[in-house]
Amino acid sequence: MTKLMGTTRLTRGMIAVSAACLALSSVVLSSSAASASVRLPSSGVETPTGGTVSETGSTLLYPLFNLWAGGYSQKYSSTTIQTAGTGSGTGISEAENGTINIGASDAYLSPTVVSANPTLKNIPLAISAQIVAYNVPGVTAHIKLSGQILSKIYQGTITKWNDSSIASANPGLTLPATSIVTLHRSDSSGDTFLFTTYLSKADPSGWGTKIGYNTTVPWPNAPGALGESGNSGMVSGCKATPGCIAYVGISYLTQALQAGLGYAALQNGAGQYQLPTQQAIAIQAAGYVKKTPANGTISLIYGNIKGGYPIINYEYAIVNGKQSSSSTAKNIRSVLEWAINKNYGANSSYLTQVNFQPLPSKVQAQSLKQVLGIS
Amino acid sequence: MTAVGGVAGDIPATPHAESVGKPPLPKRVTDFARRNEERGWRSVAWVAVILPLAALVFAITVLAVKAAPVIGHNGWYFLYGRTWTYGNQGYGGGPGARFGAWAIIWGTIASSVIAILIALPLSIGAAFALTERMPTWISRPLGFTIEILAGIPSVVIGLWGILAFAPWLAKNVYPHIASVMPDVPVLRYFRSPTGSGEGLLSAGIVLALMIVPIITSTTRDLFTQVPPLPKEGASALGMTDWEVANKVTLPWVRSGIIGATVLGLGRALGETIAIAMIGGAALRIPSTIYLPFTTIAATILTQLDGQLANPQGVATLAELALVLAVISVAVNLVARLIVSRTGRVGAPVGGA
Amino acid sequence: MTSLLAAGPATRRRRVSTRVWRGLTYLSLILLMAPAAWLLINVLAKAWPHWQWSVLWTQLTSTGGGLRDQILGTLILMIGVFIIAGTIGVFAGIHLAEFARPRRFSGRVSGPLRTASDVLAGFPSIVLGYVGYVALVVGLGWKLSLLPALIILSIMVIPYIAKNTETSLRQVPTGYREGAEALGMSAGYRLRKVVLKSALPGIMTGLLLALAIACGETAPLIYTAGFSNTLPHSLTGSQFPYLTYMVFTGYNSPETQYHYLAYDAALILVVIVMLLLVLSRIVVARTQRHSESSRSSGGGGLRARMRARAQKNEPLLGITGAPPR
Repeated sequence: MTKLMGTTRLTRGMIAVSAACLALSSVVLSSSAASASVRLPSSGVETPTGGTVSETGSTLLYPLFNLWAGGYSQKYSSTTIQTAGTGSGTGISEAENGTINIGASDAYLSPTVVSANPTLKNIPLAISAQIVAYNVPGVTAHIKLSGQILSKIYQGTITKWNDSSIASANPGLTLPATSIVTLHRSDSSGDTFLFTTYLSKADPSGWGTKIGYNTTVPWPNAPGALGESGNSGMVSGCKATPGCIAYVGISYLTQALQAGLGYAALQNGAGQYQLPTQQAIAIQAAGYVKKTPANGTISLIYGNIKGGYPIINYEYAIVNGKQSSSSTAKNIRSVLEWAINKNYGANSSYLTQVNFQPLPSKVQAQSLKQVLGIS
Repeated sequence: MTAVGGVAGDIPATPHAESVGKPPLPKRVTDFARRNEERGWRSVAWVAVILPLAALVFAITVLAVKAAPVIGHNGWYFLYGRTWTYGNQGYGGGPGARFGAWAIIWGTIASSVIAILIALPLSIGAAFALTERMPTWISRPLGFTIEILAGIPSVVIGLWGILAFAPWLAKNVYPHIASVMPDVPVLRYFRSPTGSGEGLLSAGIVLALMIVPIITSTTRDLFTQVPPLPKEGASALGMTDWEVANKVTLPWVRSGIIGATVLGLGRALGETIAIAMIGGAALRIPSTIYLPFTTIAATILTQLDGQLANPQGVATLAELALVLAVISVAVNLVARLIVSRTGRVGAPVGGA
Repeated sequence: MTSLLAAGPATRRRRVSTRVWRGLTYLSLILLMAPAAWLLINVLAKAWPHWQWSVLWTQLTSTGGGLRDQILGTLILMIGVFIIAGTIGVFAGIHLAEFARPRRFSGRVSGPLRTASDVLAGFPSIVLGYVGYVALVVGLGWKLSLLPALIILSIMVIPYIAKNTETSLRQVPTGYREGAEALGMSAGYRLRKVVLKSALPGIMTGLLLALAIACGETAPLIYTAGFSNTLPHSLTGSQFPYLTYMVFTGYNSPETQYHYLAYDAALILVVIVMLLLVLSRIVVARTQRHSESSRSSGGGGLRARMRARAQKNEPLLGITGAPPR
């Protein structure tokens, strides 16, 4: 027994030390193994391990993600992407909570969220834009609207379409005396974030100080203002309400046109009125490429860029850099690599259906780097 | 065949052979075994019945704990303030967040009050119509329809409401009402603009539709418990239908109806989905009765999933939920008080 | 009660007032029935043109498909609630009727447990959903899945089952219980073979009511079960499909197929509720065939009264009150 006790103490010590070494080395190995084992095949997309990848969030990105889900499952039948459109705020929250694999958001992560969740990333996937749609019967030309005018409309100071400020911005256009009904999003929306950022930048002393920008804001008392859920709610609500004005994601442009809505030419930071053409969006995006940081957090709205359309944004995938299992991480990486690859998800065959644009190559490289960091 | 009765706890007797076909032999039980078995049933039943209370206490505790961080910060402004904002520096809250929930609380109470005002007369009238002088071939399917209405999911009612009912109301009913309203203090609230149908009045009407089955079925049930003698006596004395209803039936069932109404009120206060679909989701008090508004339940439903990453927002929504829970519990307790205190109105008149 | 027999203006006024009264009651009936009928017809009319039977066995995809897993999900939720809430609710009712301290009145009496049960019945469902999210989904780490949804739904409907069970048990004549005890039956045997059997129709109607509530809930399910296109293979960890979510979000979706699916889901839900209602009536009607004569059941008896109610087309339950959704 004494011999056993003696050996036991020694053995115990040895076991303790070797256990510590093992633990330490496994930690070191796993962290380096994570970055070392992620090697892209020649196609640029890893093969997933199979299962379901769940995505939810921005309704602006939702139609595109639906298309992507179909295309991705065709290539990798073992893995299905489950999509939902619940609003950017939900996308961010659920990605943070871990209830969803990929959160889609039009809004980048705010400093508060980043400091609370250091492992959370926002990864740009594509470039999208926002239109301001309206239901003004009898007007076929595009109405020119500036941020200041929109700010007054949504604050309720401009109440009729034939108001003098709108008329002076649109010389030669006869506008009816219909009341303006403002539509806003009732859910936590990235589109609200984009729109209110535009209003805050174009009207800093008015909207910027009084209300500011967020995924949900306290909308001022404009007469008859309605809240709608999701982008499609905005389109269908505007269709049903003559005189309405609504901010809608560009992926719903076809639907808006089918619903008989028109869309505005918005004033950019250089003072010009621009329609959301692919060219204008590309010019605006190019103006911000250099400034886009490695983590993708930047607003592309307004800014003094000649010829640019003022409301554009990166569509973000909000993903936790630390996943619960490596197979989940691999699935997520595979989906995102597929999505930003110019041969697959970022191909014009997908993007033109929703009027999006692919990422500029510098930003795409930064996004890829972020994706490879998911483990 | 051993004797029935006799010494309790002894060898048990088999039941009478002629009353059951082939009686299974009860197992031989002793005093202790029988007592333990009864104790077993009692404990299981006791655990089961304690669960609702435990669930309630648990729910309120969770809400209080979640809301605790911000209750002090939000202060009394939470109950009377009108600005509800998560901060003006982008998603995730921060400075500039102010939570004044008065408009939301107002919306909850207003929609429920409108619902009760519409539902109560309709239910009582319909209950009378169904139980008196109506042939069975009409009253049966109508009664069945009301029971179906009680069971239809509120999301289906909301779907019909937002896509069919509210637009119809906005086109055909509201403009007519608004055009005849004079510009005097209370009625001013019914003037234009009439909006697109999504709003307080539409939500109130749909809510009324949802609580009518509760009140109607209770009222019909209560009508059957009214002793026939006073009613027949009154009729025999020459009172008309209306007088019998007014002077005999209604006083008898009044407290029961009040109890059912308050229960319907409780349901209306907590109704979530239908209001979220029909209410229009405007975080303020509407300027006319047709315009959009919101309630506590609808606000929590639409805002919560977007605020989960914002601890301040989540805690404030928990505070809002706590307010709703308190209101709902209070209303329910009042209902029970009324019902229990006046359980039987008047003495039964000769063999009810 | 003056001037009842007087002729003249008083009589005419009374005649008119009665006619007005009758007219008003019929008017309220119409005002009630018209929207109800419109609702049912509208759901049918909107769902039928695009209805395909394949909706019942096709899976939901991002762009269309069917509702197979959603229907299965709703049915699974109903079965789960039936088992969990049914057991607990019936036992709770047994306690309230059999084991609680005897009271002097047999009417509605107060007591903290019964009060708590009734208060829980009227509790807002979204608040319960929120608590379920905080405590079960996040707190216990189960994530949005089937088990938190079952627990929260069960908590919601237990008061209804308990109340119906208690009412039915109270109406079983004490003669039954005393006779059973005199025959030497133990408590459990007595409960199982005698008392519960007699109270069964009332208990069944309570259970069916609970099922109807469970299949129609949306708000608490959003925060406990989430939503999914497909049926998962585990109780926790993966989101669960159900029909009501499709109705809530489908009509607003950019995918046109989802608009049709929203109405299809609404139609299926209405059909389920109608089936449950018909089933509860059948249960009452069938068990009346096995009832003893009213003479031996101490005046009236439960089944005779329910039979009488069903014949007069009166509601079968007391305050039915479905909860806030």
